[in-house]
Amino acid sequence: MTSEKILVVKDLVVEFKTDRGTIKAVNGVNFDVFKGKTLGVVGESGSGKSVTALAIMGLIPNPPGRVASGQIHFNGKSLVNIEPAEMRKIRGNKIAMIFQEPMTSLNPVFTIGNQIEEVIELHQPHLSNVERRAKAVDMLRLVGIPSPEKRVAEYPHQLSGGMRQRVMIAIALSCEPDILIADEPTTALDVTIQAQILELMKKLQKELGMGIILITHDLGVVAETCDSVAVMYCGQIVESADVKTLFNHPQHPYTKGLMNSIPSFDSTSGHKKERLQTIEGMVPSLFDLPVGCNFQDRCSSVTEKCRGSQGEPTLMPAKGEGHTVACFNPLS
Amino acid sequence: MNMYAYIFRRLLYVIPVLLGVCLVIFVLFNLVAPDPAFTLLGKHATQLQIAELHHELGMDRPYWVQYFDTVKTAFTFDFGYSWTSKQNIWEMIKAGAGPSLSITGPLFVIENIFAISLALLVAFYRGKLVDKIVLVLSIAGMSIPSLAVVLFGQWFFGYKLGIFEISGYERGFPQFVPYVILPIILYVFISFGGETRFYRTVILDEAYQDYVRTARSKGISELRVMFKHVLKNSMIPILTQIIIQIPTLILGLLFAESFFSIPGLGAMTINAINNSDFPVIKAMTILSAVGFILFGVVTDVLYTVVDPRMKLK
Repeated sequence: MTSEKILVVKDLVVEFKTDRGTIKAVNGVNFDVFKGKTLGVVGESGSGKSVTALAIMGLIPNPPGRVASGQIHFNGKSLVNIEPAEMRKIRGNKIAMIFQEPMTSLNPVFTIGNQIEEVIELHQPHLSNVERRAKAVDMLRLVGIPSPEKRVAEYPHQLSGGMRQRVMIAIALSCEPDILIADEPTTALDVTIQAQILELMKKLQKELGMGIILITHDLGVVAETCDSVAVMYCGQIVESADVKTLFNHPQHPYTKGLMNSIPSFDSTSGHKKERLQTIEGMVPSLFDLPVGCNFQDRCSSVTEKCRGSQGEPTLMPAKGEGHTVACFNPLS
Repeated sequence: MNMYAYIFRRLLYVIPVLLGVCLVIFVLFNLVAPDPAFTLLGKHATQLQIAELHHELGMDRPYWVQYFDTVKTAFTFDFGYSWTSKQNIWEMIKAGAGPSLSITGPLFVIENIFAISLALLVAFYRGKLVDKIVLVLSIAGMSIPSLAVVLFGQWFFGYKLGIFEISGYERGFPQFVPYVILPIILYVFISFGGETRFYRTVILDEAYQDYVRTARSKGISELRVMFKHVLKNSMIPILTQIIIQIPTLILGLLFAESFFSIPGLGAMTINAINNSDFPVIKAMTILSAVGFILFGVVTDVLYTVVDPRMKLK
């Protein structure tokens, strides 16, 4: 995989000021995004996946949040402390994002055509009204919406959830971005629609060659769509590898736990093989993180070392190329 | 079309509402209010004079006949003559409407534009210093009694500084202008607080919706997010608030007109109440009831314009 590196995130720290003190929602995250490849970011709710995405978009609500330290480089340009006007030229144009809630992510009082044209008008002002409308229709056709000439004049409430997510994708891709950030794009959709949307994203990635950051808590989705994976826990990446390595040789007990939480079916009988496993316990509060490894209280292979004397485990190279894991007692 | 059927049906509601309004004013007037004969004839009237006046005003007829009379007035809009001034009530309304509108019209426009712009501003800078300053001013405007504001304003701007007329009125444009400036300024101060707080809440309700995040992710400027995406979605409560004020414009400012000696409909109504002038009270009450129903329908129709999800059935 010798592909062009288009986004580099280095030691990213995002802080939020709250009444109970400052918390680090993202604490030292590193990853790269390559052209035409998909990076999966996996983790439970509150692990800092979405905040990482918003930091890249420059959309961390400030106050209370801010990028406290670290770097985000997009095609060699730093996105931390960039002028707001400069960032607006990148946002929606070079880096676009789709969200988890297709039902509420579109503005209910404007037609979908209007909402697609808005982003085209902003970033491609040389196009005439007619060209813009034509492009909006093309985008709807591209994302597989039937009779786009008619749909372009409809309002969001006239479309189903899956169709609305397609419209969101159309908005995101209408300026042919280099990077698409998809924050749990299929979580709110039916399983059959989920597969369609993921299929669509893969197809469009092939056509347009963009890099995708796919944020999800569903390792099944990752296995189907991603090239590499970063597993996040409490604002940190605990394991990262290419998708095959990660699934074949998970090293972090948390990754293993997530995999065991995927329901598995016997392919011949169609029955469940066994009871679904879960990861015991809850994600610790960011106000009250344990000393040592953040995962210690839920870990099946916890040792004395994890409980403080050595501090937090850091990402270390593991077996296999590009495979890193932050664990004192990795699975073999 | 569906919408016309809806409008027609809504307008039919005028009938039961007017019957109810007639009943309420009739009962209040006959059972609660003092006998108008005392007000009209003074303290020393004889029994005979009172009986004669009752007969003249039709008050010696059975109650149901009198109630029917009231209802007839409500549906024909034939309000008859004032008991005190003996003038035709429609003529009185025509005479009072000008002075009233010369205050309420500009007041309505200035106040709403001012309050909505201010609300957008503080919603945009929520939590910052501007927001806090406007909050303090709004609460001051809301909590200082309006009478105190009026008296202070008349004393300070009218007497001390001498820059505005304290009270009075002159008919015709532009002669009336100097007389309406002070009441307009003072009433903007009295009412902007509540309005600004209301509009701010409405706008902030929308400012945290998911579609706003989507709009930002497109690279749109904050100003455009606010004025295009947020404002249009806030239009429904804003429209309701604005349109429901319109019937009160026509009624005039009840107390303000007395404070500033402006010969408008508000002052006329207050006088009629003081003098037990039943026909005038009846006319103004019925007109306001009809006004509220009419503008309620207008609001509903406008909803369908701002929100494509609304369908009138």
